[in-house]
Amino acid sequence: MREGLVSFKGINGGIYINIKDGEFNTILKELENKLEKSIDFFKDAKIIGIKGDSITKEEKNELLNVIKYKYELNITEDLESHFKEDIFEGIEEGMTRFINSTIRSGQVVEYEGNIVIIGDVNPGALIKARGNIVILGSLKGVAHAGVDGNTQAFIAAYDLRPTQLRIGSIISRKPDGNMDFIGIPEVARVYNKEIIIEPYLPRK
Amino acid sequence: MGIGKAIVITSGKGGVGKTTTTANIGTGLAMHGYNVVVVDTDIGLRNLDVVMGLENRIVYDIVDVVDGNCRLKQGLIRDKRFDGLYLLPAAQTKDKTAIKPEQMVELVSKLKEEFDYIIIDSPAGIEQGFKNSIAGADEAYIVTTPEISAVRDADRVIGLLEAYGISNPKLIINRIRYDMVKRGDMMNVEDIVDILAIDLLGIIPDDEAIVISTNKGEPVVAEEKPLSAKAYRNICNRILGKEVELLDLENNEGKLSKILKLLFSK
Repeated sequence: MREGLVSFKGINGGIYINIKDGEFNTILKELENKLEKSIDFFKDAKIIGIKGDSITKEEKNELLNVIKYKYELNITEDLESHFKEDIFEGIEEGMTRFINSTIRSGQVVEYEGNIVIIGDVNPGALIKARGNIVILGSLKGVAHAGVDGNTQAFIAAYDLRPTQLRIGSIISRKPDGNMDFIGIPEVARVYNKEIIIEPYLPRK
Repeated sequence: MGIGKAIVITSGKGGVGKTTTTANIGTGLAMHGYNVVVVDTDIGLRNLDVVMGLENRIVYDIVDVVDGNCRLKQGLIRDKRFDGLYLLPAAQTKDKTAIKPEQMVELVSKLKEEFDYIIIDSPAGIEQGFKNSIAGADEAYIVTTPEISAVRDADRVIGLLEAYGISNPKLIINRIRYDMVKRGDMMNVEDIVDILAIDLLGIIPDDEAIVISTNKGEPVVAEEKPLSAKAYRNICNRILGKEVELLDLENNEGKLSKILKLLFSK
């Protein structure tokens, strides 16, 4: 049997249960095993919900019922609100990583805060930040700002011609065909669930 | 359920036109109304998406599909011009070891349920990437150019394919320059077929139109005029079982060279 489908993770205010992709009965068995092993610990803990991209709503409810009624544990189910708090809050002022080089095809730059790149981001490169992304060169690869769902984050570049832009869970792609450098620095932000690009020095 | 035939395009040597051939055969078969998926197995050095002009649509890739990070349907990118044509792109930020041959076999068998033709673009070399690319294939097409080095590598690959149980591969000779062949400066088709001793599927002339179409991200086969486009359409017809004569490169030279020839023959 494959182990490790079920894990318990702590975030501020409680514990949540993380479920990986797998067969439901295996997941259920593993969950029961783990709960039984340390039932005393879980009696005092605050379980705030179940997280898993691959399980269905019905499966989730079944697991919740097992936890609530078979093991008589408290479960508050306010996981959503906890995750909202978990979004990176430093897009006004916060952790930032500075990178002084060209990011080439196949390279990935990931950071828990904002990213500033003093150089170009070539096609095939990927930049992922929980906060904003600023590129003081040309952006031709893919940039993903606000990766944990923060649609307030922005992506700015001296030359903004990306293959794709992603902010939170919103994706927009470059039009087909070649684009020329328009000579104006631009910024991409989300308005009404759409990524809009505009110059940030409108008078130039 | 469709025809479900998986064909790998391979060569051993790099830069002979595997990716261009994959894109054009895939597009050409889709133009006949078949459901086609082109699969890029060149993980870490993907190009097929660029040649197809679909790079800006990639969200998930073959490694995401194989690892179960997304469903197969989410990984497939619909072509911008032709219905029934899809791309499964390679991953760019990983390497060839991200996939195992057994996983390729499973993937291709799933694709066979949905598609008539699965055209698999192989990476250069004969290491793991090559082994992945041929793992799920029923047939192989070998691309070579009229250079000794490319023909030598093609010969090696034909031997390897046999060892892996893919027999009777077919040959595509790419980038032929008729003027050079005539002067005796380039190997001719007969020489190459003689050495490799496999069936010839088609010949493709060296053509500027290929460079232009590659840069545009629109495979040349859909264009009417270029000779290379005609060559790829002929290949597609042969794949579909029609008998088509080989291109007559002699009578298809540009008008300018004909005029020059007339001038100089006097």
